[in-house]
Amino acid sequence: MNVQTPSLDIRHYLTGHLVEVFETMLSMKVTPLTAGQPPVFIERVTGSVGFGGDTVTGAVYLHLSAKFANRITTAMLGLPPDEAIGETEVNDVIGECTNMLAGGLKSTLCDRGYDCAVSTPAIICGTSFVIESPQDVQHELLVFDYDGFRFAVEVHIKFNQTN
Amino acid sequence: MPIKILSVDDSRTIRLIVGRSLRPYDCILCEAANGEEGLVAAAREKPDIILLDVTMPVMDGVTMLTKLKSIPVIMLTAESGRDNVIHIARLGVRDYLVKPFKEEQLIDKVGRIVQLKRKEVSAPTAAPVPAV
Repeated sequence: MNVQTPSLDIRHYLTGHLVEVFETMLSMKVTPLTAGQPPVFIERVTGSVGFGGDTVTGAVYLHLSAKFANRITTAMLGLPPDEAIGETEVNDVIGECTNMLAGGLKSTLCDRGYDCAVSTPAIICGTSFVIESPQDVQHELLVFDYDGFRFAVEVHIKFNQTN
Repeated sequence: MPIKILSVDDSRTIRLIVGRSLRPYDCILCEAANGEEGLVAAAREKPDIILLDVTMPVMDGVTMLTKLKSIPVIMLTAESGRDNVIHIARLGVRDYLVKPFKEEQLIDKVGRIVQLKRKEVSAPTAAPVPAV
């Protein structure tokens, strides 16, 4: 099995796509950060969507502080920014945002010949967890800022070429 | 008679956004959370149009679409790629809308298939004039 990297700039694509998702669905203009440490959260909400096919497998993660996840949910639902929201609503909104990110990446991969399907979203909540991947998996971390809230998108992706 | 619209999406958020977009219009919105529930709702409610998500648990939108008869469908999908659009077009849907989308885009797409009428706004009641 050979590992092949297609002519796809995942960082560039996902940066543009995340900016579009946040602006269209949430009316939030987010800023991609080119340097700096990944955010550290006390309480964290992570949305994840997996994708897989014969030639590519991976997952997209959206990492947010619990406070920013609440802010995003109120923005999506058209509520005042500081309104307290139930966990079910937060999970649904963050899952849908992650689904839009992963759906865009999936389409781009399919258009380049890497057919794959996406999973339904899953949510991980907690105070301290790390998502690890095997060494041969490409790993990208993109950090963004909105109004002082720092958040991140993480992609794990592996291209396989079956002989 | 109000237009009847069925929104089939596993995301409550998307169903809520669809409902919010359609609120100014004279229509009845029905909801289902997956394809299986969607088929039941379609048979019961006989909607004029269905807004159908692609990726859902239990039964996805593509499977539901193959079991539907003669109800116009707009697919809502997070997958915008060329191959996906061609695939959706071959399924016989009337139109598709890529997430993320603006509410105006949804209204525009629905309005091309069914006639959406704005709800009549009742005139504000005049405040009583104090006697001089």
